[in-house]
Amino acid sequence: MSTSNEQKKVKLTSSEGTEFQVERSVAERSVLLKNMLEDVGENDMAIPLPNVNGPILTKVIDYCTHHRNDPVQTHDDDLKKTSEDIDDWDAEFCKVDQGTLFELILAANYLDIKPLLDLTCKTVANMIKNKSPDEIRATFNIQNDFSPEEEEQVRKENEWCEER
Amino acid sequence: LAELLNSCNTEQLVFVSNYISPRLKRDFLKDLPIELSLHILSFINDPKTLSRASSVSKFWRSLLNDEFTWKNLCVRHHFRRRSSAVPELPPSPTSESPSSRSNKFSYKDHFRRRYIVESNWKHGGRTLVTHISPDIGVVTSLQMCQSYIVVGMDNKKIHIFDVSDGKYIKTLSGHEGGVWALQYIDEVLVSGGCDREVRVWDIDTSKCKHILHGHTSTVRSLKMKDKTIAVSGSRDATLRVWNIEEGRLLHLLAGHQASVRCMEIFGDIVVSGSYDCSARVWDIVTGECLHVLQGHYSQIYSIAFDGEKIVTGSLDSTARVWSRQTGFCLGVLQGHTSLVGQLQLHESILVTGGSDGAIRIWDLDTNRCVQHIAAHDNSVTCLQFDEKRIVSGGNDGHVKLWDIETGDFIREMTSAGNAVWRLAFQETKAVVLLQREGKTVMEVLDFDAQES
Repeated sequence: MSTSNEQKKVKLTSSEGTEFQVERSVAERSVLLKNMLEDVGENDMAIPLPNVNGPILTKVIDYCTHHRNDPVQTHDDDLKKTSEDIDDWDAEFCKVDQGTLFELILAANYLDIKPLLDLTCKTVANMIKNKSPDEIRATFNIQNDFSPEEEEQVRKENEWCEER
Repeated sequence: LAELLNSCNTEQLVFVSNYISPRLKRDFLKDLPIELSLHILSFINDPKTLSRASSVSKFWRSLLNDEFTWKNLCVRHHFRRRSSAVPELPPSPTSESPSSRSNKFSYKDHFRRRYIVESNWKHGGRTLVTHISPDIGVVTSLQMCQSYIVVGMDNKKIHIFDVSDGKYIKTLSGHEGGVWALQYIDEVLVSGGCDREVRVWDIDTSKCKHILHGHTSTVRSLKMKDKTIAVSGSRDATLRVWNIEEGRLLHLLAGHQASVRCMEIFGDIVVSGSYDCSARVWDIVTGECLHVLQGHYSQIYSIAFDGEKIVTGSLDSTARVWSRQTGFCLGVLQGHTSLVGQLQLHESILVTGGSDGAIRIWDLDTNRCVQHIAAHDNSVTCLQFDEKRIVSGGNDGHVKLWDIETGDFIREMTSAGNAVWRLAFQETKAVVLLQREGKTVMEVLDFDAQES
């Protein structure tokens, strides 16, 4: 690929109508955009992303820029995945409020950026891990809607994996 | 808004903060599309967390009952679905009707059961039964599968026990010398020993159907191809192929120059290891010797064969890997400092046990030793492994459980004796035969989930 081609910019429009310019290799971290760009060919038209707002798109571009040269994930890795293997940059990237994290998951899913989807989902998984039900409720502001009887039943159902 | 907040005192700010912070939180699993919620859960492979999460709310509970998550977990924990190896638990009287639980496979239930079994192996389980034999005898052979535990003794007897509860069923008497080798398939049992005879038994009726004469010295090894064909190996240096249904000799396999100590059958091929330092590959159908495997400097005591590769263990303290097809030696596995008396081969994993007390795990793709375990103070007398664990017994009287992945010691399986003779295990059971306080002891251990 020639240098001039590498510098080729792609225009994206967020839900508010703000225009973003990114290098093609960055945009192509998104399978959705990659396929679109392949379909339309050489074109200066901005691609509208009505499901992604400006601040979230900024974060997504941040992520894609940092990971622009990553090798493609293979399906094999899927089986070995654990939520522990997050590198420092990614961990820092995910230090956001829950609302932003939530929007990032949706955006990663919509734009089809699997590594970002995995990263954000792992982050949520880590917020759940090793917590008691009460702690989980507090973490996500969830109301306990079980009746005392139901709660007792659930506790019994789950006895088998406690204290082993 | 900023001005308003600036004019607040600490107490008021704390109130605002406490008021606002829950509103910034999201119930991710509830608010996201369900496939994304399940994707999040797929990163959790700790069942404790998952079950705690199911107590969070009604919605989380329903989500965590989704089979996807538990199937995933089964894969992650290598709890493969093996319907034959994992019999359904009998329905307990307190639970729902039998029909509702036996017909429907649930990954959650499957995982739950396997998880309990796993953890029982690690630090639970119970002794199902302990038999202390009144007669002093050395245990020479053991087989546990299907419905029976069969034990061969040097005092001429063959004892049969029920696999499910470990209870004694019967004794087959008839051999006039010590029993040194046996195998059974379904109700057909074949045994051989010091009296130079091979006997074919019907376990159901306890009748000895055939007494096969021919060997001129102790029958030291014996394998069944199926319920029709068996091969015996003897100190007389020959192997004999028998039709055990009709009770007649099919082939006499001559060639070894000394005692045939061990053998293994795969398909129509039998491989034999001998005190003449060689191993031989034979065609059971034609009786032809296909290859003579030469290279060991001392007697061969153990052999394994998976249809492709043959592994032999020798007194020269090495194990050798051979090609069944060409008869060439593919590798010499060095590391043990004494006799390699125990071998088990599965796919590319080989586990060897030596008289040096060591267990070694080898990768046969590279012929490298991947784990070296200083297992026993004395000879390793028996070992077995599956995809999760190795169980070994030694002349030091200990029965030990090891993690096959890491080689880590997990625990002793039972209180130590003077010497361990034989052991065998299945998914949820293990049987150990050892000498303890001078007596012959058989213990059956159970790791199954106990329904309350």
